[in-house]
Amino acid sequence: MPGLGASFGRGAATNYQQDMANSDCILFMGSNMAEAQPVGFRWPMKAKEKGATLIHVDPRFTRMSAVCDLYVGIRSGSDIAFLGGLVNYVLTNNRWFHEYVQAYTNASTIIEEGFRDSEDLAGLFSGFDQKNGAENGTYDARQGHWGYEEHPNGDHTKSAHSPEANSAKDPHGRFGHCMDGSGEPYTSPYQDMTNAQRDPTLQHPRCVMQILSRHFARYTPEVVSQVCGCTQEEFVRVAELLCNNSGRERTTCIAYALGWTQHTTGVQIIRTAGILQLLLGNMGRPGGGIMALRGHSTIQGATDVSTLYDTLPGYLPQPAVHRPEHEGLTCYIDYGGMPTGYWANFSKFIVSLLKAWYGEAATPENDFGFSYVPRVDGDYSQLAYFDRMAKGGVDGYFLFGQNPGGGGPNAGLHRAGLRNLKWLVVLDWFETESATFWKNDPNGPPPAEIGTEVFFIPAAAAPEKEGSLTNTQRLIQWHKKAVDPSGDCRSDAWFVYNLGKRLKQLYAGSTDPKDRPLLNLTWDYDFDEHPRLPDGTLSRIQGEPDLEKVLMEINGHRLDEIDPRTGRPRLVSGYSELKDDGTTACGCWVYSGVFPEPGRNRANERKITDNPVQPEWGFAWPNNVRVLYNRASADPDGRPWSDRKKLVWWDAEKRRWVGPDKPDFELEKPPDYQPPTGAAGMAAIAGNQPFITKADGLGWLYSPGIKDGPLPTHYEPVESPLGNLLYPKHNNNPTVRFFEGPLNHIAHAPTTEYPVVGTTFRLTEHYLSGPMSRFNSWLNELQPEMFAELSYELAAERGIVHGGWMTIQTARGKIEARAMVTRRLRPFPIEGRVIHQIGLPFHWAFAGEIVGSNANDLTALLADPNVSMHESKAFACQVHAGRLEGDAPHATVPTANWPTLDPIPDTPASAQPEGRLGHGK
Amino acid sequence: MNGYANIPITKVPGWHGIIAWDALLNGMAMGLFLAAAVSELAAPAHFTPVAKIAYPVALVLLLVDLGLLVLDLGDPLRFHHMLRVFKPGSPMSVGTWCLTIFSLPLTAAAALSVLAEFGFDFERARIVAVVVGLLPGFGAAAYKGVLLSTNAQPGWKDARWLGGYLTNSALLMGCAELLVLSAVMKQTQATAILRTAFNVLLVLNVIPLGLLFRNLQPAHARLYTREQQWRVGALIFVAGTLIPLGLMLLNAGVPFILGSVVFLLFGSWLIRFVYVKIPHTAPLVGGESKLP
Amino acid sequence: MVSNDMASDMVSREMQLSGLVQISDPPRGPVAEVVERLIYPFQHGEAPEPRQATGFYTDTTVCIGCKACEVACKQWNQLPSDGFNWSGNSYDNTTELSASTWRHVKFIEQFSAGSSSDAAPGEPAVNRWLMMSDHCKHCLAAPCHQACPTGAIIQNEFENVYIQADICNGCSCCIAACPFGVITRSEMGGHSHKCTLCYDRQRDGLEPACAKACPTQSIHFGPVDELREQARQRVEELHRRGVRQAYLYGDVPSETYSEMHSFYLLIDRPSVYGLPDQPFNPWLNMMGDYVRSVAGGFAAIVVLLVVVFLLRS
Ligand SMILES: Nc1nc2c(c(=O)[nH]1)N[C@H]1C(S)=C(S)[C@@H](COP(=O)(O)OP(=O)(O)OC[C@H]3O[C@@H](n4cnc5c(=O)[nH]c(N)nc54)[C@H](O)[C@@H]3O)O[C@H]1N2
Ligand SMILES: Nc1nc2c(c(=O)[nH]1)N[C@H]1C(S)=C(S)[C@@H](COP(=O)(O)OP(=O)(O)OC[C@H]3O[C@@H](n4cnc5c(=O)[nH]c(N)nc54)[C@H](O)[C@@H]3O)O[C@H]1N2
Ligand code: SF4
Ligand code: SF4
Ligand code: SF4
Ligand code: SF4
Ligand code: SF4
Ligand SMILES: [Mo]
Repeated sequence: MPGLGASFGRGAATNYQQDMANSDCILFMGSNMAEAQPVGFRWPMKAKEKGATLIHVDPRFTRMSAVCDLYVGIRSGSDIAFLGGLVNYVLTNNRWFHEYVQAYTNASTIIEEGFRDSEDLAGLFSGFDQKNGAENGTYDARQGHWGYEEHPNGDHTKSAHSPEANSAKDPHGRFGHCMDGSGEPYTSPYQDMTNAQRDPTLQHPRCVMQILSRHFARYTPEVVSQVCGCTQEEFVRVAELLCNNSGRERTTCIAYALGWTQHTTGVQIIRTAGILQLLLGNMGRPGGGIMALRGHSTIQGATDVSTLYDTLPGYLPQPAVHRPEHEGLTCYIDYGGMPTGYWANFSKFIVSLLKAWYGEAATPENDFGFSYVPRVDGDYSQLAYFDRMAKGGVDGYFLFGQNPGGGGPNAGLHRAGLRNLKWLVVLDWFETESATFWKNDPNGPPPAEIGTEVFFIPAAAAPEKEGSLTNTQRLIQWHKKAVDPSGDCRSDAWFVYNLGKRLKQLYAGSTDPKDRPLLNLTWDYDFDEHPRLPDGTLSRIQGEPDLEKVLMEINGHRLDEIDPRTGRPRLVSGYSELKDDGTTACGCWVYSGVFPEPGRNRANERKITDNPVQPEWGFAWPNNVRVLYNRASADPDGRPWSDRKKLVWWDAEKRRWVGPDKPDFELEKPPDYQPPTGAAGMAAIAGNQPFITKADGLGWLYSPGIKDGPLPTHYEPVESPLGNLLYPKHNNNPTVRFFEGPLNHIAHAPTTEYPVVGTTFRLTEHYLSGPMSRFNSWLNELQPEMFAELSYELAAERGIVHGGWMTIQTARGKIEARAMVTRRLRPFPIEGRVIHQIGLPFHWAFAGEIVGSNANDLTALLADPNVSMHESKAFACQVHAGRLEGDAPHATVPTANWPTLDPIPDTPASAQPEGRLGHGK
Repeated sequence: MNGYANIPITKVPGWHGIIAWDALLNGMAMGLFLAAAVSELAAPAHFTPVAKIAYPVALVLLLVDLGLLVLDLGDPLRFHHMLRVFKPGSPMSVGTWCLTIFSLPLTAAAALSVLAEFGFDFERARIVAVVVGLLPGFGAAAYKGVLLSTNAQPGWKDARWLGGYLTNSALLMGCAELLVLSAVMKQTQATAILRTAFNVLLVLNVIPLGLLFRNLQPAHARLYTREQQWRVGALIFVAGTLIPLGLMLLNAGVPFILGSVVFLLFGSWLIRFVYVKIPHTAPLVGGESKLP
Repeated sequence: MVSNDMASDMVSREMQLSGLVQISDPPRGPVAEVVERLIYPFQHGEAPEPRQATGFYTDTTVCIGCKACEVACKQWNQLPSDGFNWSGNSYDNTTELSASTWRHVKFIEQFSAGSSSDAAPGEPAVNRWLMMSDHCKHCLAAPCHQACPTGAIIQNEFENVYIQADICNGCSCCIAACPFGVITRSEMGGHSHKCTLCYDRQRDGLEPACAKACPTQSIHFGPVDELREQARQRVEELHRRGVRQAYLYGDVPSETYSEMHSFYLLIDRPSVYGLPDQPFNPWLNMMGDYVRSVAGGFAAIVVLLVVVFLLRS
């Protein structure tokens, strides 16, 4: 989530779900936590019981709205307008937290002369270059002078940070991210931050505070209600609640999820929230922060340890071909790292990673095997990749627990891609759409015409394997194996581990240098003795890797010290121990400390203590910190802002930072520490600068590190019935990436052909594209059919009757659904027009015990510039009464009835009371 | 706004139409026995011959009724579970025990009556059996109405006079059956007495019936239009009371007696059927539909 | 709710439980089976020592309609699914309690026409979505219990109303008797079933599956008197917060009905939630009905006797 990284330094939820119980006010926007994270939602409910105010801003009145104190309906895709309005409200009414903003943000920083704001250029920032003809383009931040104004007497010796180098430097790589779009924990500094000019009075016309005020000045309550479709009163109520519940004594938390991320402006929506929370002084404080509520179990882990194509473990940039700065290790480090702040340790992270991967073979002489690391040669984000696949550019593909044929945006295009493969390997629990597309796809060609050879590998389920999950609050939790997988099912780890072993065998003895990377890869995770099940019996499975060994490798070792207890290299206690001389190995620096000593797997700890933070339940990265940037929970002098909201503070006697949470700061650095000029690394971070992964230690109200502008700007979704009210010349984000093609038509805004705003959402009863729920009749009976939610007004307009059938059409396709006509959706009065909105759950498709139309046959392939996120939360559609012609898909016969169809069992002997026959009393 | 307000709350027991027949046969069996017993004990000279036929007939009716009761269980092979406890608070339990106990003296009475036909006469024993059967027999007749009114079902739960009516009509029917037997057996004396008794009982029975209808009026108003109510009410009154009375007063010939009794039984069945249907019938105007 | 350490040894207890197997030796041969069938119901067990009365307090104001309780109930009790029918009644596709559905989450959409802001002056705009997880009320004087002729329904040592399905013969009296429409007879097997209040789990020191699964603690399980205390405080709290409508349903006896061991915190009329506004125990009428029944019979007998005596000679 670079939206967060760009503002604070790390791309992850800043607080933890239990901490939401400490909030005085929670704004849920773009999240439906009660339905999507029902178990975590118990904590907001606790807050409510303690008197907190819960607000839900959403196009649909959901099961969560029902338990919130205030619900405000806004049109899909209008979030920046709403949040920008809040920023403007806070600024114009002088409701911002002065001490906090002055000390902890870059409000006073002065921006280069040449910078032009979107207000000056009618919707564009300076530095935009448009390929002639194309409706979209890219920004060159250097040309646009987005950077900080340098101090006249600053030293320019740091060659790596000359503007030229900076312009080339781009921590994102040129490419985006996977669907969940997590981000890297830092953004590229523009130049030597310690050297930037500041105006503490915040009066300088080019200081961030002034630019910010000008930028958002037009986002007035009137404009907000015109763009979003809510009333001004509703908007002001939200604004007042946020302001009244922020400050020294009170904190407000903002929680978001896909309602924000799944937009071509997603990153900027999150940025706006970051700006708001910095202005209100809610960052780094208990009950405050921004909760990014993530999805798939361990999707956070997937981005940390990096299953992403464009980062290495621990958010190190993935070296790319054709990039001189990625040729050798030294320049890679030069460009990747930063002179100041935590990223000054960059070299230690990458070298330790290389040692973990290539062991003995990684030597100072060969750049620690940096040349072995595969170079990425293009965009391998899911969307771009499947676009290529659909156009016939890919031979084979592995699907580990993913169902793009059902859950991918524009799933039809995804299936077309799968049809173009020579071979496909699907590891899954169930025969998903992606495994049966060749025979069951009602819109697909006959099997005879499909060349793809599909291998289905039955996967072990969660209780049938051990491993760790990293949840939405960066908490790593280990789960043990309960039973052996049945039949041929094997864990994914087993599959990958043994695949690796066989490949190594295959190339064994080869002298060809190109085989070195594979042959030198450390690949030894066998169990020391054969594993046992909880009941003590030996596991049936042969060749399962010992995942605790993998976790130890991730945690890191001191290669120069042998631990007498194990006779193996000593485990490191945390990333502070890492070195760049090859004497330490660490598979993922952010996780370092999770396995500090032999037999102590902290992810497996489940100790409930009287410390409310519960530091001994699992292990949170980084360093078991539960609230990021928690230095900000104390004032610049190190005293808690208030007794009510204390978390971490400076203890003058002990001369160290103390408190229930682990300080996210150098323990002994006093609040009054000021860096000497020219200081590097952490030494350059002052004792009152909490955002230690930022080069200047500050929260960024203004962030030059983002590809679509240093400040958030309202653009309409790519598909919208409306034009951009604020910047009529630019309806959409000018840097959106399109994948035009016959399978992916786009109805550009403003469209009259598709006048209805569509969005997609989740139901508690089902999981994603459905494989994990639509094979289970206990869940299927709860939500048995695909339906669409629409307002009484729209239904009346189109003659659609509640409970009857309706069809929904977009530029990509047409589906049918049962009509759920409800007052939970309302038409929005916008620019004197009535804009209708519908909501579609996306859980149905053609595989499973219950089947139905797939909302993703409607959605489009589009990518935002930062993380290649699609726009499934806002698209243009048309609705009619009636059904589709042709016959509907029929259910796959489940391999086994679950639950069984036996009669309800008689009372078991164990529960055989013979009670008093008295008729009560 | 009204949520579930218009969806019926209680669940209907799966007793179907069988219970209407059960209620009828139960009345006919107990009624016949009681009528026979009472009149035999009061005037043996006139009634002993008919009674001796009446008991076996009652037994047959009872057996058929028990058959229906068992069939109505979800798990008929567990009918004997009824006898593992005695719960005075449970009309069904009371009924089952009455029926079971009653079945013994009735069987004895019936058997001895039949033996008597073949000349093995144990008169005193037979009388003892009859006397012993009186109380449980009466109970077996009296519980049915309470069973069908002591529950939460719409309509049924308001039927305060169902028991009163059913027991009363049991004796009416019993008297009617006995009358038919005696008429067929040419027992002129008994026939004469029973004709009068029948007429009086028939008129008497109108009282509990009227009270029952008053209890059920609200329920019926929910389920049927005024017109429907009138039609069925009239049908029941005419077929079940006026016609039988008319025929009976008109002529003492066997065909008239038979006809009168057939009409009475039909009327009685109709009443029970209409009653049993109440919880199964959907209210007239469903209010606003289930869909919001 | 249960304390953390209690919860943790519950976890370990569940581990052990999954290992346990049911011991029961089936009769061999048809004759033996018939004999078994005949004597089985008459083998009365020992009545366990009475324990602290337990029940549920369901706070509908914190229910998020996630249906975890429904699924947990079906899973723990291995109840079959009821088929896949989209009801269109808000998010309620379960529609009712039955022999195979012992928990039922209800959804009530209450929205006034027009948006909250442009509601006609005077009448306040209603914009709420009520949710309520319904199940057996475990009435203290339970009509179903009173009706049951086989003694299959008993009040167990926790004062919960419990159907011994191996005794039930499907006579359906309980179905007719329950004022809340909780029980039905299963098509498979022909026996009646309903919420057991997880008797088997309680015996093993576990809280009921539904309560354990409820993420927002809408379902509170525990000793009834403690629950009542807790519930009353919650109502006061809500009143203080301006939720004037909040009240408890079934926590105390009324003239016409006993208290219920599982009671509810509601904010609208009971009938809106599909509950009887004034639950009535039919047994209050039983004696009177017996009297009328006997009277009806007596009158007839007397008449018969009189006529016989008068016309004898
Ligand atoms: N039961 C269940 N739980 C799940 C999942 C599941 O499939 N089923 N999926 C998991 C995964 S992978 C994820 S990522 C999370 C996602 O969790 P969420 O993001 O909370 O789930 P969604 O329902 O996709 O979207 C949330 C809300 O965004 C609203 N919305 C749509 N468009 C807009 C908009 O333009 N602006 C605003 N403000 N709101 C908008 C929708 O109406 C919806 O109520 O859930 C996780 N949890
Ligand atoms: N329109 C629309 N589309 C969306 C979204 C939306 O909000 N709207 N949400 C998007 C989001 S946030 C996400 S995360 C994606 C999710 O999309 P997917 O990642 O495709 O998620 P699923 O459809 O659940 O597919 C996961 C598969 O993994 C299998 N599986 C589960 N556990 C294991 C395991 O341990 N091993 C193996 N090998 N397989 C396993 C399951 O059976 C299932 O088939 O959907 C995206 N699609
Ligand atoms: S499914 Fe799992 S992760 Fe999602 S809410 Fe439930 S318990 Fe939490
Ligand atoms: S609610 Fe119904 S089933 Fe439950 S105890 Fe009361 S009467 Fe019996
Ligand atoms: S159906 Fe079963 S539980 Fe219900 S009353 Fe009859 S025997 Fe008792
Ligand atoms: S207590 Fe047990 S049986 Fe009753 S509803 Fe809850 S889970 Fe189901
Ligand atoms: S589990 Fe709890 S919150 Fe969820 S539906 Fe049931 S009662 Fe409501
Ligand atoms: Mo997700």
